[in-house]
Amino acid sequence: MAGSSTVLEDSSLLSRLDRALLPLERLMALLSGLAVFSLMFLAVYSVTGRKFFNAPLPGYVDLIEAAMPFIAFLGISYVQRNGGHIRMDIVVGALGGRALWLFELISTLLVLLLIVMLVWGAWAHFDRSFDLTRPLWSRDSSIDIGLPIWPSKLVVPVAFSVLVLRLLLQIWGFGRALVLGLDAPVAVPLIQSIEEQARAEAEALEEEG
Amino acid sequence: TEWNVSLWGKRRAFTEHVEKLAELVSEKTDGEFTMNISYGGLSKNTDNLDGISIGAFEMAQFCAGYHPDKNRVITVLELPFLGVNTLDEEVAISHAVYEHPAAVDEMAQWNAKYLMTSPMPQYNIVGTGEPRDELAEFDGMRVRATGGIGKAFETVGAVPTSVTSSEAYQAMESGVVDTVAFAQHAHLSFGTINEADWWTANLNPGTVNCPVVVNIDAYESLTDEEREALDSSVPEAIDYYLENYGELLKQWDEVLDEKGVEKVMLSDKAIAEFRSTAADPIREAWIADMEAQGIPGQELYDLVMETLEAQRAGN
Amino acid sequence: MDEISIGLWTTAFLLFMVVIGMRVAFAAGLAGFLGLVWLRWNGFDYAPDRFGKALEISVKIAGQVPHSKVSAQALSLIPTFILIGYLAYYARLTSAMFEAAKRWFAWVPGGLAVSTVFATAGFAAVSGASVATAAVFARIAIPEMLKVGYNKQFAAGVVAAGGTLASLIPPSAILVIYAIIVEQDVGKLLLAGFIPGAFSAIVYATLIIGIAVIFKSVGPPVTGFTWRQRFASLPPALPIVAVVVIIIFFVYNPFGDAWGTPTEGGAVGAFIVFVMALARGMRWGQLKEALIETAKLTVMIFTIIWGVLIYVRFLGFADLPGAFSDWITSLTLSPMLILVCILLAYAVLGMFMDAIGMLLLTLPVVYPAVMALNGGEMVSAADSSFGMSGPMCAVWFGILVVKMAEFCLITPPIGLNCFVVAGVRPDLSVQDVFKGVMPFFVADAVTIALLVAFPAIVLWLPSLA
Ligand code: NA
Ligand code: NA
Repeated sequence: MAGSSTVLEDSSLLSRLDRALLPLERLMALLSGLAVFSLMFLAVYSVTGRKFFNAPLPGYVDLIEAAMPFIAFLGISYVQRNGGHIRMDIVVGALGGRALWLFELISTLLVLLLIVMLVWGAWAHFDRSFDLTRPLWSRDSSIDIGLPIWPSKLVVPVAFSVLVLRLLLQIWGFGRALVLGLDAPVAVPLIQSIEEQARAEAEALEEEG
Repeated sequence: TEWNVSLWGKRRAFTEHVEKLAELVSEKTDGEFTMNISYGGLSKNTDNLDGISIGAFEMAQFCAGYHPDKNRVITVLELPFLGVNTLDEEVAISHAVYEHPAAVDEMAQWNAKYLMTSPMPQYNIVGTGEPRDELAEFDGMRVRATGGIGKAFETVGAVPTSVTSSEAYQAMESGVVDTVAFAQHAHLSFGTINEADWWTANLNPGTVNCPVVVNIDAYESLTDEEREALDSSVPEAIDYYLENYGELLKQWDEVLDEKGVEKVMLSDKAIAEFRSTAADPIREAWIADMEAQGIPGQELYDLVMETLEAQRAGN
Repeated sequence: MDEISIGLWTTAFLLFMVVIGMRVAFAAGLAGFLGLVWLRWNGFDYAPDRFGKALEISVKIAGQVPHSKVSAQALSLIPTFILIGYLAYYARLTSAMFEAAKRWFAWVPGGLAVSTVFATAGFAAVSGASVATAAVFARIAIPEMLKVGYNKQFAAGVVAAGGTLASLIPPSAILVIYAIIVEQDVGKLLLAGFIPGAFSAIVYATLIIGIAVIFKSVGPPVTGFTWRQRFASLPPALPIVAVVVIIIFFVYNPFGDAWGTPTEGGAVGAFIVFVMALARGMRWGQLKEALIETAKLTVMIFTIIWGVLIYVRFLGFADLPGAFSDWITSLTLSPMLILVCILLAYAVLGMFMDAIGMLLLTLPVVYPAVMALNGGEMVSAADSSFGMSGPMCAVWFGILVVKMAEFCLITPPIGLNCFVVAGVRPDLSVQDVFKGVMPFFVADAVTIALLVAFPAIVLWLPSLA
């Protein structure tokens, strides 16, 4: 179940920053969806080319593999913003007030630690495949048509960097809620009961359909 | 000392020299120097060279064609129709190129050092339907072949088709491809032989080159005794590999019989024609490309040819 | 400290973080990363001046995993399957499916409930996700059942249970994930899901008819549809059949050459549904929503995948899976008994965890153990413990665990499908749905027992391919 928490808004700086980051995150998620969409056309092109014109798409597998990181990472911050990444909320769901904000703050800080490390590691992975002195700046290429791999490796640290910004905002939000003892802080995903989540999802379907 | 070794897939003829090397090294050092061989647990195969460069593990195997831009120098060994006939010749030219300063240099940028090769026989094709034993019949043939070998088939009108090796069997069964180019052990382990009606015994279009490398820091921090044990075990490990692969090749004819796969021999004329259409332009293009990047392409190609002659003269 | 202990402590840390509510993907990634640092520094005998080096190597190992693991062609099936589901919704294929099932099957005792099960099974053939199926049918099918006097709890239970079929009947995101983790042929696994999925649907239908015959008040039959009306209901549902046929023919064509690879089949299926949705009036705004929803669900699944794979990479360095399978095979119990215990453990775990997270977390350790139990990856049927070859055992076990994971979607305390149904219907509490779904526990238990006892149900189709 993705993206079904609520995020409150007001006129504070924190909330304005939250809303300022959101369009970027949403755009990146849309790009990820468009990449999925392009897979569909790629397959249709490849199959018709092969079946009817004996001209399969050269490097079909290479192209899919290059597209996968765009699909898998671009939307990561958008999902985090809405609290959509899966978790077990039996324990945190039973907490309230400062205890809840403390748990959320600690786990968000730990996520930040992980993601900062991964920005470093994923950048290093990209950097090994990239060389400005080479043709197409490529120091790593695909098996079939020799496609440079660095663009799809670069997606990872870029998407993770946006996630770092998002995590900083959430840490600020949870920290503020903890210090001030707030009931309904802005700019952080608030836990809904599973019933509320499901209702929200159903309403979303209702509106669209 | 304990080394982690990153291979992939399953234990097979293609990995037997590494297994043997681990055994020999441990014996020679009374268990002081051991190797932990992992099949895919430490890295994805296309990332093995990255793993060596960051020091994730100390030894690894990879294939040049998986990522030509990481190892441009040794792609000379994957040019089509080099004329290699035996695994001994394959070992000789591989090791000659591995010792060339350009190759040593390029690996050093990955903090890696070539240790030995994993000699592979020529990538002959298996196919379904009527045997294709004339060049004209390759026109329009959909072939699963990557890199240089794929390019070679393209020059005679075949259509290289993009399929992963694990999907090769299904692609053949479903008619996505008509033919698949692999070494014998891979035709066996990916099951393409089960779907085949025929196999080209003498097309010999080329092969892939898959070295085993070690991390330079790890290699240098071995004790003299350990390094001696490692270096001296390489020839023995290669001999063991050759012997083992030889057994597999001996059984190959039986396998063909058993599965009812026809052995197709192309005429010398057809092969010569294929070679002249494919080999020369691809080699010229490769040399030009390498020279433009400051790699001595011509020199490397000449080295291969000289080594091949010397190897044949020696026998 | 030895590597196995480091592996166990790190695993305990991971479970603790999951329990206290850290997102599963990040808990796994963090545990894996910290484990790598610990393992490496342990190798350096905790020399303070070498901590930096241990950290750097571990960061770089962990930093490789997301890109490296996600760039796999077979994984592209997951987003395409998810996209098919969303597009099918906009093409109004779900209501068409239910209408057709109603006109054809509603005359039997418990007829509307039976129709619901068959319609969910049909929708399952285009949808890759169980929860979405339950949500959609809670809106379509429950009101119709209530109108003719069905027991409210029972109607809700039928929808919650019917929804679980989506993950067994291909396309199925979860089967693809299984295939990726255990490195088996995706096509064979998808094919293997067909019969057990259809079989589950039939077991559900039989159970419903039985209940309706015994308790007359539960669900009266609905009659009065003419043959003309029946046939008229088929064309709107036809695209589903087309997509199913296409996917089957891509994977395995009974009349000759198949058309292509499973990955192509999934994508071409999506294309057909897309054209259908366009024809039925989908516009850019809706398409954009469908794409963003697809991206959200996809990213959520992929984040768990790479997060868990960082942990798995750590396990590889600690060699924990090897140690676990050595331990399992050293037990003197019969292999079948051990397998049953493993399945029961999944049933318990599934009460508290999400299906995808559960499989991703456990399979790297459990799968090698099960394969070792059968006699190894390459064992022949004759030499094996379960009477099937290594690759076939991988398929069979995959279907079993996925069926277990589906079972967990309807078990308390956090059977997600039940919450979804209750969420969609404000007049139903979660307790109502759990009560209504109870008979289906029995059906699922019977199905699983039969799949264990008669592996041929699972293996017949893939063995033809
Ligand atoms: Na499905
Ligand atoms: Na559950």
